[in-house]
Amino acid sequence: MGGGIILIPALTLLGVDIKHAIAISILSVIATSSGSASAYVRDHITNLKVGMFLEMFTIVGALVGARITLAASPRPLYITFGAVLLGSWIALLVAGHQSWQAVEGQDAFSRWLELEGSYPDQAIGGTIQYKARRAYLGAPAMFGAGLIAGLLGIGAGAVKVLIHDLIMGLPPKVSTTTSNLIIGVTALAGTSVYLAAGLIHPGLAAPVILGVVLGAFLGTRLLVRLTNQAVRRFFLIVLLVLAVEMIFRGVRGA
Amino acid sequence: MRELESSKLHAKTVAGRETALQLDMDVLVGYILLTGVLLSLTLITTGLVWAWFRTGRLEVNYPITGVNLFQFVVGETRLAAQGAIRPRLLVNLGVTALMLTPFVRVAASVVYFMGVLKNWKYTLFTAIVLTVLTYSLFLR
Repeated sequence: MGGGIILIPALTLLGVDIKHAIAISILSVIATSSGSASAYVRDHITNLKVGMFLEMFTIVGALVGARITLAASPRPLYITFGAVLLGSWIALLVAGHQSWQAVEGQDAFSRWLELEGSYPDQAIGGTIQYKARRAYLGAPAMFGAGLIAGLLGIGAGAVKVLIHDLIMGLPPKVSTTTSNLIIGVTALAGTSVYLAAGLIHPGLAAPVILGVVLGAFLGTRLLVRLTNQAVRRFFLIVLLVLAVEMIFRGVRGA
Repeated sequence: MRELESSKLHAKTVAGRETALQLDMDVLVGYILLTGVLLSLTLITTGLVWAWFRTGRLEVNYPITGVNLFQFVVGETRLAAQGAIRPRLLVNLGVTALMLTPFVRVAASVVYFMGVLKNWKYTLFTAIVLTVLTYSLFLR
């Protein structure tokens, strides 16, 4: 769960116009994703090849998504945002604990793309080998993930992780950390569209960036002290409240 | 330290020169991202604290209207050259550093895939990403 999906409703509640909120959020996403990606990449968990192949599709999606937002009126943006919040809420509600199954047969395209790797797993004290599959489905799906990211100014990490897990069969750790790497570049593509449109106010962006990075830093430390159940319950409430609030504002035309 | 230990653990289990070079690339990319984000945060924090000392308010208030990143950088550099170093300039440079962080990461990847790993497939892929990003930074 990234910051954008909570940050944007919070900014709009403080009276920031939704397009400005989206623009500032996607800029701050570069900071949080690059910050955490740096550690995971150095730990050799992130798969750079998977990341760099899929980035070709997410950045184009982000450019298209940001353009749509510029042209759109605020009301459909509120409703779309509310719908994505609601989708995240449902995903969290039904989330099961599936165990990862290693991909046995790799298709020719994914093999040609060299989408495989291994990472050190400290929990089991060894190296886990894996292969990715169905890159031909993962690529267009990633265009969609980039579109959502650019459109709404969020990292859309949850969507990317779903694509990695369900379509490409990556192990969970590789899936989340590689999604983190992709998010930074995708957010940059979106940010440049919003910057060119004059929607980035450094005066507002500067404190938000510092706040979000500090929040992410403290949040990670707080997270390890809380039980998974407590965190899940907290997000279930927050996501539902924000989803209802955003959809309500979109319908009412606030 | 942590990455060194995990590198060793990893190198022990997976042998081969190419794998070792691939692992070096992880470290390079990781440090580019870390440096960029830390530089950006330092510039933004300094700018805001400076603004606070001057105005008593922890904010800088001004819009950037319709410029792309390169015009933005050129304009701000001109101001800096005239000796007009202000809190606002530091904040702007911080935002620029942040936006250039993923860009430099991709540029370094192109060079690494081409020069060190000699992997033409991925040189092409990362070059495509770099081209699209460069185009987006020149948007008007």
